[in-house]
Amino acid sequence: MNQFWRNIRPEQLRELSLVLIIALAVLFFGSQIENYYHPRTFNRIASSVAILAVVAAGQTLVVIMRNIDLSVGSIVGFTAYFTGRILVNSPEMSPVAAIILAMLMGGGLGVINGLIIAYGNVPAIITTLGTLAIYRAVLVNGANAESIITSALPTWLVDLPRLNAFTFGEIQIRAVVLLALIVVIIFQLAVTFLPWGRRLYAIGSNPHAAEMAGLPVKRTTVSVYAICGALCGIGGFLFLARFGTITVVAAQGMELQVVAAVVVGGVNIFGGSGSLIGALLGTILIATLEQSLLRWRVISEFWRDAVLGLLILLAVTTDSLILKNLRSWWGRSTQTDSPSPATHQAEIEVEIEEVAS
Amino acid sequence: MFSRQISLISTLLLFSWLVTGCAFLDTDVDVRADQSEENPVVIEEISIDIATDQIDQSNENDRNKITQNVTGDEAFNAVLLPKFMGISVFDKANEGAADAARSLRQPFPAFVGPTSSNSTQGQIEILNDAVTHGYDAVLISNNGGDEISAAAQAATEAGVTVITWDSPIPSAVGESVFVAQVDFDETGLVMAEMAHNILDGRGQIAILSAGRDAANQNAWIAAMETVLINDPKYQELEIVDTAYGNDNFSISYSTAINLANNYPDLDLIMAPTTVGIQAAAQAMQDEGLCQTVKTSGLGLPDEMVPHMIEGCVPQFALWSFNDLGYLAYYLAYHLTVGNIEPEVGETFFAGRLGRFTIEEDPTREQGLRVLMGSFTIYKEQDLLWQ
Amino acid sequence: MNRKSLIDRLLQWETLLAIIFVVVVLINISLSPFYLSLQNQVNLFHLSIEKIIVALVMTLIIINAEIDLSVASIMGLAACVFAFVWDDGFTLGTAISAALLVGALAGAINGFFVAYVGLPSLVVTLAGLIAYRGLARVLVEDRSIGDFPEGFDALGQDPLFGPLTFGIILFFIGLAIMIVVLQRSGFGRKTYVVGNSIEVAEYSGVNAKRLKMILFILSGLVSAIAGILIAARLGAVRGSTAEGFELDIITMVLLGGVSIFGGSGTLTGVGLAILIILNMRNGMSLANVSGNAQTGVIGLLLILSVLVPNLLQWVQTKLNDPRTSGQT
Repeated sequence: MNQFWRNIRPEQLRELSLVLIIALAVLFFGSQIENYYHPRTFNRIASSVAILAVVAAGQTLVVIMRNIDLSVGSIVGFTAYFTGRILVNSPEMSPVAAIILAMLMGGGLGVINGLIIAYGNVPAIITTLGTLAIYRAVLVNGANAESIITSALPTWLVDLPRLNAFTFGEIQIRAVVLLALIVVIIFQLAVTFLPWGRRLYAIGSNPHAAEMAGLPVKRTTVSVYAICGALCGIGGFLFLARFGTITVVAAQGMELQVVAAVVVGGVNIFGGSGSLIGALLGTILIATLEQSLLRWRVISEFWRDAVLGLLILLAVTTDSLILKNLRSWWGRSTQTDSPSPATHQAEIEVEIEEVAS
Repeated sequence: MFSRQISLISTLLLFSWLVTGCAFLDTDVDVRADQSEENPVVIEEISIDIATDQIDQSNENDRNKITQNVTGDEAFNAVLLPKFMGISVFDKANEGAADAARSLRQPFPAFVGPTSSNSTQGQIEILNDAVTHGYDAVLISNNGGDEISAAAQAATEAGVTVITWDSPIPSAVGESVFVAQVDFDETGLVMAEMAHNILDGRGQIAILSAGRDAANQNAWIAAMETVLINDPKYQELEIVDTAYGNDNFSISYSTAINLANNYPDLDLIMAPTTVGIQAAAQAMQDEGLCQTVKTSGLGLPDEMVPHMIEGCVPQFALWSFNDLGYLAYYLAYHLTVGNIEPEVGETFFAGRLGRFTIEEDPTREQGLRVLMGSFTIYKEQDLLWQ
Repeated sequence: MNRKSLIDRLLQWETLLAIIFVVVVLINISLSPFYLSLQNQVNLFHLSIEKIIVALVMTLIIINAEIDLSVASIMGLAACVFAFVWDDGFTLGTAISAALLVGALAGAINGFFVAYVGLPSLVVTLAGLIAYRGLARVLVEDRSIGDFPEGFDALGQDPLFGPLTFGIILFFIGLAIMIVVLQRSGFGRKTYVVGNSIEVAEYSGVNAKRLKMILFILSGLVSAIAGILIAARLGAVRGSTAEGFELDIITMVLLGGVSIFGGSGTLTGVGLAILIILNMRNGMSLANVSGNAQTGVIGLLLILSVLVPNLLQWVQTKLNDPRTSGQT
């Protein structure tokens, strides 16, 4: 038993507790709302999770590195709109080409963020606060008040949100949901096993030390923003597929939802810890609550935001209070009888040495 | 030291480039909006010249005199202020206003609007700046309630003609005349009639509106409710809920789904907004609910046809936003040059649309209006037939 | 970096801002003959008065190395509490006190979680941004509450002293108080010290937690005052009042040269940044630039104001010593 506890890292416990909270929420709303356990409920939550989860994955990478990207909502809107525009003009384009196009577009905007932050030495929050406004302004001026409408888009795109990847009994797994899951898993594996990924944690825990140790901090920063932008591009593509109609206000304010999801998912806003799976669970929890609160008649819809804000605070407080204590307990117990690098700080130091050598 | 001086200079250069760049950028947009014209650029230049002249002349005079300076021969500078930028119906209204300006040989009205997230505050700022700008008239589609009254009143006192179109100021304070696209009571009746036709006389209706404070939508919904209560013909139609999508597609989309969810017996979503009706139709189509929950309301024909073909939107209605902008421009022009006064019974001629009369607005406690016309109702059989 | 060069740098920043400001004014003069009119100059302030009042207290928060994203939501909440209580038949005084109390309380909640629980202020106030706005909506739902007494509306709309409105006078009083507090008082010094390094501050006996708590309560209170002002200026309140103001407010402070990492920045800089942003918006409005493009240009200016000096310093370092890479 003791051995079991020692081998679980705080982050994993955090993820387990999130799964538990989600399960409790589903059970609670199931008892409150008629017909809650319906495949349609699942599909609805899943399709709103799909878009947010991809963007949240990108944000997580950025936040792990002790940065932030407030421009994600504008990048999603931008890529959704202009990918739509291009598809309207050349409907024969293949789906894969369209996704790649969206990723390139988003990646390009991300690279601009990254270059300004890494090589211009402008703090991330200032840069992305600025580009949040700039990208949206370019979109509004470029769009000339013309919306993208569903009927002008190729049929494969319009049908994409309802395309099933496979079916479990009555539960259908939609292709877009599968795509989002694959993205999250790929990047989770990348940050866990690639030197690039471990560099993110090293830089996030202590950027100064990372630079001293000779890590390519600037290059990594640009690469992370490029990836975040590209993931926003996928998010924009999914947004376009889901809604079909894209106006210039598309995805406005998404940055707050995404940051909230990442934070609830246990990613430390000061960098150095957190996982993409955690952020995914955070996204699922927020989407579940949003969808369910809308249907829960006991409280009026006006309470939704108030409850949501409270929940974020609650999640972060418990995380901070409980895990702080647990970590110090882990630290003590592992120092005395186990060599496994359980405390995070120790692990990071090891990583810095490994990566640098 | 070297770098600091350079940094100062280059920042300044960049900045001035920015400001001038933006001014040009906006001119570009105006020109582009007018490609159909033979010599758009020339016209644009002339109009700018006239505008500067006019401002120069009135430079020493006090602001109140500007209006008096304007006669049929001199430039009439107006600004068309939509609820926010990026919505196609407002662009159509702008095209109409530009048409009117062309036929009156006046400079094109400026078309400026706030961001959607900052609409009320932004409209107030633009209204205030209109005075500084030396505009003769401001044509507003009010996105808020009475919050804009104080600013509108200040502009009026400074000698600017303030009229509203599309959506009025509820208390009418600060506004001279409202150009009503249709009679607001008629809107209620048309919506009730469409619901009656679609549902064969009985069923549950949910309303999906724009913003919670949108004066025009609220008036139409109230009118529809009155009709349903008072006319026995509609006694079996029931409004179960009114929800708001803020004229934002994705919010409207999920709101529509939730309406369908919360009311299992729902038969119809009535959306008196072009964004809302499209979002609701799309949502019902995506959810495969088109056979049970129909959508109707006010929509743009090119956006609605595909949903009509799918059987999701059997009927919808709208008026011409182009005509609305056109008429609003004519009214503002005649009021400003002093051809007419903002009083009941005054009549004026509005180019291709004919003659109109200012009357009391029966749908508000106070206020004057000019009524543009009636609805075009689009029905399944008509469109498919074409 | 020694003390002298730091002061040098600050001076430099403010000179830069002052020159940008002059350029903005010159461009604006060329755009409209009415730009310099007293009415327009007063209007500039009047239209954004709530934002710039809150920008003053935001300066303190950011110098203290924290951030408050919830200010606009507190403004909205206070305005809604005020309108709700007034609408319920209570006196004006009761309504205003209730709004101020709620604002201070909201600030205290932020402060408690930041100072005593030790959570990052970005997260706490992000939750506040969502939750306080939610509470405002709970109070007024989809209504719009207006019909305040004449005198109250007049306070927000009409000139009180010469051409100046009550709000503008309040802003200048606030500015004067802030300058004294920040540059002449122990409280101001402590704010800088804590912003520079919380460890150093605590070693030297500063009660950093209490300081942060006070600052957040102050932020809530000032936001509530701004919320009441906006209610008076618009004459009506609804759930979305002041929504999205936080970005403008934070942009003003950051453009003013206050470091997002805390510990440095002056009110002079922030004052100049406020002047630049207000006049630039006015100028762009005169040039018929629409709302979105205006926000975009302000965003660009925000980035450039940090980027250009950094880049040039980097170029100079390269020129002087080709072997060292750019370090700022």
